[in-house]
Amino acid sequence: MKVEDVVCPFCGCLCDDLVVEVENNRVISVENGCTLANEKFMGDHRLKNPIRRERGSWKDVSYDAAIQETAEILLDADRPLLYGWSGTHGEAQSVGVHLAELLGAVIDNTSTVCHGPSILAIQEVGHPGCTLGQVKNRADVIVYWGANPIDAHPRHMSRYTTYADGFFVKDFRERKVIVIDVRKTESSAVANEFVKVDRGGDYAVLSALRAIVRGKGDLIPVKVAGVTREQLFRVADTCMNAKFGAIFFGLGLTMSPGKNKNIRNAIELTEELNRHTKFTISPMRGHWNVYGSNEVFTWISGYPYAVDFARGIAFYNPGETTSVDILRRGECDACLVVASDPGAHFPRACAEHLARIPTVQIDPHVNATTHLATLQIPVAVTGIDAEGTAYRMDGVPIRTRKLFEGTYPSDLEILGKIYARVKEAKGS
Amino acid sequence: MTGLLVKNAYVIDPLSGVNGEIMDIAVRDGKIVEEVGNGAVVIDAGGCLTLPGGIDSHSHVCGTKVNFGRYMSPEDMRAGRTSRKGVMHVTSGYSVPTTFGNSYRYSSMGYTTVLEGAMAPLEARHTHEEMRSTPILDMGAYMVLGNNWFVMRYLKDGDIEKAAAYVAWMMRTHKTYGIKCGNPAGVENWGWGENVSSLDQANIHFEVTPTEIIKNLTEINEHLGFPMPLHLHANNLGHPGCWEITRESLKIPSNVKGKPNVDVEWAETKMNAKRHESVYLTHCQFNAFGGTSWRDFESGVKGITDYVNGKDHVVMYSGCVPFGDATVMTGDGPAIHDLYVLTGNKWSNTDVECECGSGVLPFTYLKSNPVHSVQWAMGLEVLLYVKDPWKSIMTTDSPNGGPFTKYPLIMAWLMSLKARQDTMAECHKWSQDRSGLGGEEREMSLYDLAILTRANPARTIGMAYRKGTLGVGADGDVAIYNIDPKKLDVNDYESLIRNLQNSEYTIKDGEVVARQGEIVAIPEKRTYYSDIKVPDADEKHMLEDVKEWFRYYTLGFSNYPTPERYLANPTPMTVNPLR
Amino acid sequence: MRFVLNTGRTIRQGSYVERKNVPAYREEAASLHMNGVDMLDLEIEEGSHVKVKSDQGAVVMIARPADGLVRGEVFVCLGPYANFLVNPETHGTGMPDFKTTVVTIEPTIDPVPTVRELMEQCGGVGYEG
Repeated sequence: MKVEDVVCPFCGCLCDDLVVEVENNRVISVENGCTLANEKFMGDHRLKNPIRRERGSWKDVSYDAAIQETAEILLDADRPLLYGWSGTHGEAQSVGVHLAELLGAVIDNTSTVCHGPSILAIQEVGHPGCTLGQVKNRADVIVYWGANPIDAHPRHMSRYTTYADGFFVKDFRERKVIVIDVRKTESSAVANEFVKVDRGGDYAVLSALRAIVRGKGDLIPVKVAGVTREQLFRVADTCMNAKFGAIFFGLGLTMSPGKNKNIRNAIELTEELNRHTKFTISPMRGHWNVYGSNEVFTWISGYPYAVDFARGIAFYNPGETTSVDILRRGECDACLVVASDPGAHFPRACAEHLARIPTVQIDPHVNATTHLATLQIPVAVTGIDAEGTAYRMDGVPIRTRKLFEGTYPSDLEILGKIYARVKEAKGS
Repeated sequence: MTGLLVKNAYVIDPLSGVNGEIMDIAVRDGKIVEEVGNGAVVIDAGGCLTLPGGIDSHSHVCGTKVNFGRYMSPEDMRAGRTSRKGVMHVTSGYSVPTTFGNSYRYSSMGYTTVLEGAMAPLEARHTHEEMRSTPILDMGAYMVLGNNWFVMRYLKDGDIEKAAAYVAWMMRTHKTYGIKCGNPAGVENWGWGENVSSLDQANIHFEVTPTEIIKNLTEINEHLGFPMPLHLHANNLGHPGCWEITRESLKIPSNVKGKPNVDVEWAETKMNAKRHESVYLTHCQFNAFGGTSWRDFESGVKGITDYVNGKDHVVMYSGCVPFGDATVMTGDGPAIHDLYVLTGNKWSNTDVECECGSGVLPFTYLKSNPVHSVQWAMGLEVLLYVKDPWKSIMTTDSPNGGPFTKYPLIMAWLMSLKARQDTMAECHKWSQDRSGLGGEEREMSLYDLAILTRANPARTIGMAYRKGTLGVGADGDVAIYNIDPKKLDVNDYESLIRNLQNSEYTIKDGEVVARQGEIVAIPEKRTYYSDIKVPDADEKHMLEDVKEWFRYYTLGFSNYPTPERYLANPTPMTVNPLR
Repeated sequence: MRFVLNTGRTIRQGSYVERKNVPAYREEAASLHMNGVDMLDLEIEEGSHVKVKSDQGAVVMIARPADGLVRGEVFVCLGPYANFLVNPETHGTGMPDFKTTVVTIEPTIDPVPTVRELMEQCGGVGYEG
């Protein structure tokens, strides 16, 4: 059976034009998707049933027992951490926030090690952005800064930027693409202009560009962080003469020294450019629904990530209430991991703490965190055998489809049951 | 349901012509009835002021830009935090409360219905998700169409029938209530970093003028028979001298007759509860700036109220400024950019492909600031100068002028000359020198306020068949305040404010939901939208165009509509222009 | 020799996110991309095992030459191998220094651990399902 207009639940591009073929409760072919989509839809490596660690080995266990134990672990804990969320649908994320509030827990999502610094910068200076279609239709200058879309967001350039067929800009020859990075990448190879910045030098380069845009170009020395004066002027000139410029930035800015200050500088550059022409800036969100977790957390609690309910109010203090910090300080005594893999993506010291405390993972697949956990509950994959709302990297909400009726419960169902048991136990 | 009986209520219900009668109100199965049996829950209102539940016909509470306002301002979130308590979840947000915050604070204040002022179609799902997360309150949203590519293209081609078919289809597709037209033609120019500054300025590429958009959308609005008039946010917002373009904009629909055509059962009311106006102007204050620069800035309100006083086709809401922290958020992206250039505050912007735009900026109105002081005066002038209160609605365009939780302050200023004088003494003297408020002695009555906050919002947006009145057949939404109107001394405005802030009882569909500031029940809510019928052939041809043009979106056509499952208790209103 | 370790996404790493315990993922996630001249200096060639050490510990990886890197810089895709070396200090931002870990590199004959073994070194119990 062919299903059209399928939404891909992998990266922040949230492409919705895939065509898949479903047979016997499996996806057997994918059209229009990138490599990541093919793997996601056609992969078949799911954990068959819940598993539980008993002393030194793993045993199968029933869903009911697993749910009960999860509720008990969370109720027992003084300071539980509910982490992940970016790989599941908004309706499930909602339950997560309510669960955290009920428990007085900390709830955090993968922004914490991805675009958290971008959020911090936005909280300092705002976010002059747009939806991706504005870029597709209007942008004649595109800048990728500290981002490598060909590897991390493979269809970004063809659907939204360089190669997209826009209303006002019809051809890739009408667009100029500038890639700015500390190393050559696949993306820099297709750029019209590649700016190689010394490691850690993004902040200085951003400041230099701002100075030029503000008319203080004479301050610029011969080289700034490895970039020549001449190239800096050329880039600033291209930007100021754009009809519509769009900056996309990635982990190259969020993870490098300076972190949120790098992004703040990039946003302020965008704001400066808006005095001359139209310019927007957008973060390249990694997970297909990390922005959704920010949105859901915010409309319920007021904050986009790292929310601590221990005081009976919503409390937010990145650096204190963020997961890496809580784990490295050994501060949490239980952890529920949903739709993410901190074992693989957090520093080792955090993984060590996860192994020490009761850690429950709700995830369809065996991953690095599985080996650190005490219990894992497999669920349906949103976008394949579960459906729900996701928010694209530019904030556009799209509903992922359920392609077939599988045998796994969804995140929403499992979390709903855990929530119900916790609520009952608390007598509220 | 056992029923509810409110005894000894001092009722003010303008739609029923009731102005201060002690009466009983009976509710059964969620509706006002003539009487209830002995098993009913009885509340003795003890002669206290009792009004229909409040209706906010324009507030920014749900959606992309609202959520932007929250997460970009953690300091605002922290300033408005409250703890878990009873059935209440934690809330955050001072000027932009979280969804639970909105729910509880409106309910505590005696409001039961709130309409979201602006929704981008591409992001409709987000607005609906947040509305669904806002318990208790009945809600709906207005769709932004004044810079929509499909609309502009049809207008440029002179194809009004297809434009109308498109508008009707969009309302049903995204489950929205009415048409919002903000800075028509200007926001499309903002897609290139520009704006429009006059009504006859054609925008870039589409070459439509604000006049053409306003005229045609007004006609389409009446041709389709919407429950509410075209909701208009005039061009040039926030620029000194903009009052003139606002008045000229209001002239455009002056010969259009309001013709709502909705299939509903009407509650009993004394006066005609159907709207006849053809335009509902947003935030008059922000569009009524006088002078030519900040230096000679002054109120331009009189130019607009003089016009409105002489005409019958306009309703407007005030957009008052109660001072303090606020967050400016509007679909008028360039207006926010101008504020950013002026203040340097953190600035957010989202232009939505093929459809519209928005901007968000935290802002503080200071009594010491000359311009803000005039704006405060202007917001009150808008309401005080209009002779017929049925042309006016009171809001702060929350959170633009300030959060809705400050409505009691506005009400006190309207009712109490002393309150105005005391505040005027505290703020910059421009409030006296650059506006006429100092010379205005009118003190509004509770009856006037009931019109401004209940009866007229309901009537204007076409909901008076069930809201804004305590007539038999209406929803059992009642607000009882600890105010004895017989002994009311408006000079003691501090008491007045306190007693309007939290009702003694807020009742929704006959169930007590709030008691003295605390939420005690979370009944189901409803989400309203306009379901408009157009000839099948018109819709078919229009959709062929839309599908062909859809490739300029970055979303597929079949993933575009917002299914009804996103709405809590979807309550479509059948709008039937074919009759 | 001291180097600065950068990490980031690669498409191959992305394709294996749901199969982190297979050999192909290990191949990708344990690949240490280095400047060719640096490799000559260390007297290693493509495929050689190297022990990479930071203030957090050491892990064995597979060296591969890469075009885009300057001398003194190395690159590993995001994953447990890289994170074995990353310091959890976030400087109050919540975000560790994923892109600037100072490491030393020396050739080794030790085997490259599996993801399971890495997690067991962190105190976990490997799942073999």
